[in-house]
Amino acid sequence: MSTAERQAELALPSVAERRRKKRSGFADNWWRHLVALIGVVIALFPVAYIVSAAFNGDNSLSGSSLIPRQLTLDNFRSLFGTQRHTTGHATFQNAHYLSWFGNSMIVAGGTALLTVLLSALAAYAFSRFRFRGRRMGMLTLLLIQMFPQLLAVVAIYLIVLNTGDVFRFIGLNTLPALIIVYLGGAMGVNTWLMKGFFDTIPSELDESARVDGATPAQVFWGVVLPLAAPVLAVIALISFISTLNEFVIASVILETQQKFTLPVGLWQFIDQKYSEHWGPFAAGVLIAAIPAALLFAFLQRYIVEGLTQGAVKG
Amino acid sequence: MAEVIFDKVEKVYDNDVHAVHDLSLEIRDGEFVVLVGPSGCGKTTALRMVAGLEEITDGKVSIGGRVVNDLTPKERDIAMVFQNYALYPHLSVSDNIGFGLRLRKTPKNVVEERVAWAAKLLGLTPYLNRRPKELSGGQRQRVAMGRAIVRQPQVFLMDEPLSNLDAKLRVQMRAEIARIQHEVGVTTIYVTHDQVEAMTMGDRVAVMRRGELQQMAEPHKLYNAPNNLFVASFIGSPAMNIVEADVMRGDGGVAVRIGDQELPVPEDVVRRRPALSGYAGRKLALGIRPEHLEDGILSRNGGARLKGRVLITEALGSEILAHVEVKATPVVTEDVVEGAVVDEAEHEIAADLLESGNGDRSTFVGRFDPSSQVRPDDEIELVVDTEKLQFFDLETGHAIHESAV
Repeated sequence: MSTAERQAELALPSVAERRRKKRSGFADNWWRHLVALIGVVIALFPVAYIVSAAFNGDNSLSGSSLIPRQLTLDNFRSLFGTQRHTTGHATFQNAHYLSWFGNSMIVAGGTALLTVLLSALAAYAFSRFRFRGRRMGMLTLLLIQMFPQLLAVVAIYLIVLNTGDVFRFIGLNTLPALIIVYLGGAMGVNTWLMKGFFDTIPSELDESARVDGATPAQVFWGVVLPLAAPVLAVIALISFISTLNEFVIASVILETQQKFTLPVGLWQFIDQKYSEHWGPFAAGVLIAAIPAALLFAFLQRYIVEGLTQGAVKG
Repeated sequence: MAEVIFDKVEKVYDNDVHAVHDLSLEIRDGEFVVLVGPSGCGKTTALRMVAGLEEITDGKVSIGGRVVNDLTPKERDIAMVFQNYALYPHLSVSDNIGFGLRLRKTPKNVVEERVAWAAKLLGLTPYLNRRPKELSGGQRQRVAMGRAIVRQPQVFLMDEPLSNLDAKLRVQMRAEIARIQHEVGVTTIYVTHDQVEAMTMGDRVAVMRRGELQQMAEPHKLYNAPNNLFVASFIGSPAMNIVEADVMRGDGGVAVRIGDQELPVPEDVVRRRPALSGYAGRKLALGIRPEHLEDGILSRNGGARLKGRVLITEALGSEILAHVEVKATPVVTEDVVEGAVVDEAEHEIAADLLESGNGDRSTFVGRFDPSSQVRPDDEIELVVDTEKLQFFDLETGHAIHESAV
């Protein structure tokens, strides 16, 4: 082998290396794109079906294709129109959709707001005060949380039924009753979550505010809550969405069309074999998704923003 | 503005830790008092009891003649600067400074006026609209100061406010805080573990250890006449050299023997300490500050001398620190070790030192003139300024003081 050849051989790999580096953009990263693509498809597939069904003139699911043969707004119109539907056990007017929507907003919004408030208060106490029963209290919250609320449906029904005899406004078939039941359901997890976050807010901030002349209430509203904005936003969002989706308890407590929430109301469109109304159902679901999406867009700012930065030496 | 009085204050935590023990202090109106001591000595607890952030187990704390034991922090009219500043991250600098005023429903224009005054005093005017996270460490520290001075409270409480700053900034802020305190003239209690801070800033310094007050005095008094071995070894850097010595009474007066060498004790030193002659024939702890040792070659006019071998030298420019090994028994009682060790991490080393027991060789640190030519391994003579010797009882650790007369 001549010196020149040897040199050439030595030089070769480096050329190949350089070429590979140049192409690394796609050659090395194609699988990332693939994973992302699969993720997007999985996420959007059900949405695509719902959107398709909402704009499809056909009422059945099995016969329809993903891309509707003809686009129509009939499904949306029928939600707000006065057209009568007759299903197996009930005749109802679609005009109730607006009530359902309103009820859902009241229940989900109210639950979200009150959940945040209640669990913030509880978490603040657990995080900042030392009192007898503190540990037991926290463990109890966790323990209760281990049983799904579903198990308690019968008990909840009976409790609400009996309370209604005394306090009409939180009896069966009322929205406040539903809100109260929901509030109890997620208290434990949310309190724990928030307590964990409060623990990361330096207690010197509380102390500093107290020395500055703040009452405990002022410390809570003026210092701790603004700093906890990210976790408050997360909890508000989670509880809003899960309440919006909740079906079982709502269907047990609510009895009349005017009081139904969206899941209970919309369920009637599809709960009978051979007479399902998938079109209006999909349209109704699509509209119901809007407030949740808006809320998410609005709260995102707080979730992303790390507000505690700069409180203490970083 | 007010005086602060601790009257036999005790603090026992729920977990039975006795943090402060029988603490009595009188802090005069407008005075700058520093509480200093190693970590865990109860200084921060004492401060927090004044602030109302910690309950007082027993005894009384009064501010301006009013017993504040059962008052909320709000009612005590105090301001506190925290070690980590505790700025409200969601508020701008001006809102941070004005927070306390706004809580007190001060009229808006007054708040603005006061905030502007404080900002000017602290050089924060250009940053008033920024958030704390957009400030440097030193600026955050100033904001914390601003929040304290803006309300013109009766007392400032400062809990190691400089320990999060780097060395250079710390020196600068030290002067700054002293200046501001002087300007506004508010009674200040300042907690630190750094004896240099304590000595440079305090009108008076209170040295604490294990929840007990060791000595409270002006810095120079603390340095020149420490009450006990702990204070002696805690105050001063490099620390005081402390060795065992035998007291002997001869024809030429009193002398102390260190190892096999003898140092005469000047007559007036003995006269001023009547108790000293009582130690004749017994051992005591002898303290010599590094600046009272000098390279023998540089000092021609005799004087008391100690022979030793140089271990290392540290040239600092204005002086040379020489570590000289002398045949003498070092005093390594808990007092001395705890006083010399400030850093938590050094505790283990200190424990080792205690366990290894008394060797028969001690290392003296001398603060030599920079013209000294000493090198490691040189056999040299140390000139001792015997006028400045300090004496302590070996058993109790108490200083053998000059009597009042």
